[in-house]
Amino acid sequence: MGILNTLLRAVTWWNGSTLNTQLYTARKGKKVGEDSQGNVFYTNADDSQRWVMFNGEAEASRIDPEWHGWLHRTWDEPPTKRPLKHKAWEKPHQENLTGTPLAYAPAGSLRRDKPADRRDYEAWSPE
Amino acid sequence: MSDLRKINIDGHEIEVEGAMTLIQACEVAGIEVPRFCYHERLSIAGNCRMCLVEVVGGPPKPAASCAMQVRDLRPGPEGQPPVVKTNSPMVKKAREGVMEFLLINHPLDCPICDQGGECDLQDQAMAYGVDFSRYREAKRAVDDLNLGPLVSTAMTRCISCTRCVRFTTEVAGITQMGQTGRGEDAEITSYLNQTLDSNLQGNIIDLCPVGALTSKPYAFTARPWELTKTESIDVMDALGSNIRVDTKGREVMRILPRNHDGVNEEWISDKTRFVWDGLRRQRLDRPYVRVDGKLKPTTWPEALSAAATAMKGKKLAGLIGDLVPVEAAFALKQLVEGQGGKVECRVDNARLPIGNRGAYVGTAAIEDIDDADMILLIGTNPRDEAPVLNARIRKAWTRGAEVALIGPVVDLTYDYYHAGTDRQTLAGMIADGVSDETRENKKSLVIVGQGALREADGLAVLAAAQKMAEISGSGLLVLHSAAGRVGAMDIGAVTEGGIEAAIDGAEVIYNLGADEVEIDAGAFVIYQGSHGDRGAHRADVILPGAAYTEENGLFVNTEGRPQLAMRAGFAPGEAKENWAILRALSAELGATLPFDSLAQLRQALVAEVPHLAQIDSVPANVAEALEQGPLGAASFRNAVDDFYLSNPIARASALMAELSAAAKARRAEKIAAE
Repeated sequence: MGILNTLLRAVTWWNGSTLNTQLYTARKGKKVGEDSQGNVFYTNADDSQRWVMFNGEAEASRIDPEWHGWLHRTWDEPPTKRPLKHKAWEKPHQENLTGTPLAYAPAGSLRRDKPADRRDYEAWSPE
Repeated sequence: MSDLRKINIDGHEIEVEGAMTLIQACEVAGIEVPRFCYHERLSIAGNCRMCLVEVVGGPPKPAASCAMQVRDLRPGPEGQPPVVKTNSPMVKKAREGVMEFLLINHPLDCPICDQGGECDLQDQAMAYGVDFSRYREAKRAVDDLNLGPLVSTAMTRCISCTRCVRFTTEVAGITQMGQTGRGEDAEITSYLNQTLDSNLQGNIIDLCPVGALTSKPYAFTARPWELTKTESIDVMDALGSNIRVDTKGREVMRILPRNHDGVNEEWISDKTRFVWDGLRRQRLDRPYVRVDGKLKPTTWPEALSAAATAMKGKKLAGLIGDLVPVEAAFALKQLVEGQGGKVECRVDNARLPIGNRGAYVGTAAIEDIDDADMILLIGTNPRDEAPVLNARIRKAWTRGAEVALIGPVVDLTYDYYHAGTDRQTLAGMIADGVSDETRENKKSLVIVGQGALREADGLAVLAAAQKMAEISGSGLLVLHSAAGRVGAMDIGAVTEGGIEAAIDGAEVIYNLGADEVEIDAGAFVIYQGSHGDRGAHRADVILPGAAYTEENGLFVNTEGRPQLAMRAGFAPGEAKENWAILRALSAELGATLPFDSLAQLRQALVAEVPHLAQIDSVPANVAEALEQGPLGAASFRNAVDDFYLSNPIARASALMAELSAAAKARRAEKIAAE
């Protein structure tokens, strides 16, 4: 955390948590748990606020469903106390990739390395 | 019989025929009257009420201008011409009221409706409607019909203008459609849920002023404003219907008719309209050369040199197929005859006389059908050979003309006198003669089909038809079945003795799109065409050419009218324009043809055949009488076996195959029921 980063956090909100949030977290925050990506979840003394400090990019869709449910008060207890039951067919959580190079592109899209061959006619072949 | 009346429309005083309707008089005065049910070529229904106008001094209510004649109006107190207003407050209010009524039950489908952008209701609601609705009640819903694979229906959108019912009964001559129920329950239906049995049914898509009837193959593929429109000429039959080809990129998305009073009025057949999926399938997009008995893809220089090597010094024959434009036929003729070979365009063995335009085209024009009193059809089924022409004959029949047929009994959609099936009937008719009274007073027309001219005695049949026309004082119309035939005959791409004489002993056959010909093993075949059909399978060298929507070309229709077809898109892959391939091959042969561009080719063409320069006019032909010959005894056979599969483009189309199968099944069903 260099001096530049501190300065940026002081005046912008998109380079990690702001100074105010850090200060508030340090004073009132009670750590509840941490997910696999290293995002740390906090609550305050009377549990009137729940928040997350991102480890890396602040991207809401990185929160997996377990923590999302706790964060949005779908359920009271955090997954550290009461883990969600997972079915065998469930896939691991993935953040929203829209806008990134990994975003989905349809078969014929020019964003693919090899776009599917689209012809506006069917050629005859002798066989 | 003229009954000219003066009439004052919005302050313009004009003089028009008394029998004209007010809407026609307004058109003469240059004033647009909105309408839905009124159509120039159909009977008057007067049920949409959109064309209301105010007649001053008449009853104190608006009058439907499509249903009121000019002579029905009373003149003013001092004999002034009657006054009609189309822009008074009363008319404005009436139009807004009618539009509001029409929109009560019309769904707000415009964003998902194929008619969007070319919808009469949309346009007129913008121009004459009000911008709000006072109705909060539920809209009426109507079950959709199954009209077959061509016309898709969304009957909730129907405004009951009955144009489709009037078209199918009056023009197409089928009885499957009608209106049932009264008031709010009135519905356009097909009786007993029948599908339409007509090869003109596609026209109801154009006629429908809303999106109730839309094109099924074109459904949801394009919007009218994103299409490039090219005005062109159809080649599916020899009528030369005027069409508009709509393209997106190089793909043909749909084909629509253009108005031409002399040729197709404003109808086209279903084959013309829906054949475009055949333009996307089975395409020849690269040259092929046969190596060790197998066709191998190759490059243009190699294919051209293979063709040139094969042609050099050999006995050469050129065959010109049915869909070839005049330019390509002319280039092939120059190329092959320059090498000492023979060309032939009558690939179906039609015995058309060489150089006698009055006999191979005839002396009548298509427009002559309109005022004919008697029409004699010889060896033809115009419903299959040229459906739009058949609709025109039907129009003459509705007007009172008598139609007689010599040939197999077929359903022509109108009653006719069936004189017989064989050549002797024709001979008998000539022997019986025609009374002077009939000849003087009745306009008559003789139409000969290609089926009658294909047999060994074809020339004698044509001579007999000419004789029949002569003794009855009628015009002769030779109904061709190939779009390129008359043009190729005009430039003289023929050989004395027909196709047998042309390919007799030929070592190399240059086949320019002739797929209906069987070529015996032995000869080296160079095939140039657009589709991988029979001709391509027999070929030793394949040169891929453009189809009719992909090159500019001149086509001469069955009445001898030269018309220009325009390029709507580019040929697929490496395919080239037909004349350009022949020009390139001639350079490879060392006998370069004397033109480097289509314009130069056309100059050379016109210098040789001057009447081809008269685009869109029918040159008058002098009937040179043919020598009468012995007629055979056999019955006539019609030229077209399967309407939907008559050329390589149609055979490549999946839709045409489906229609053909459906038609066959329907025929079989009819026989079983009888």
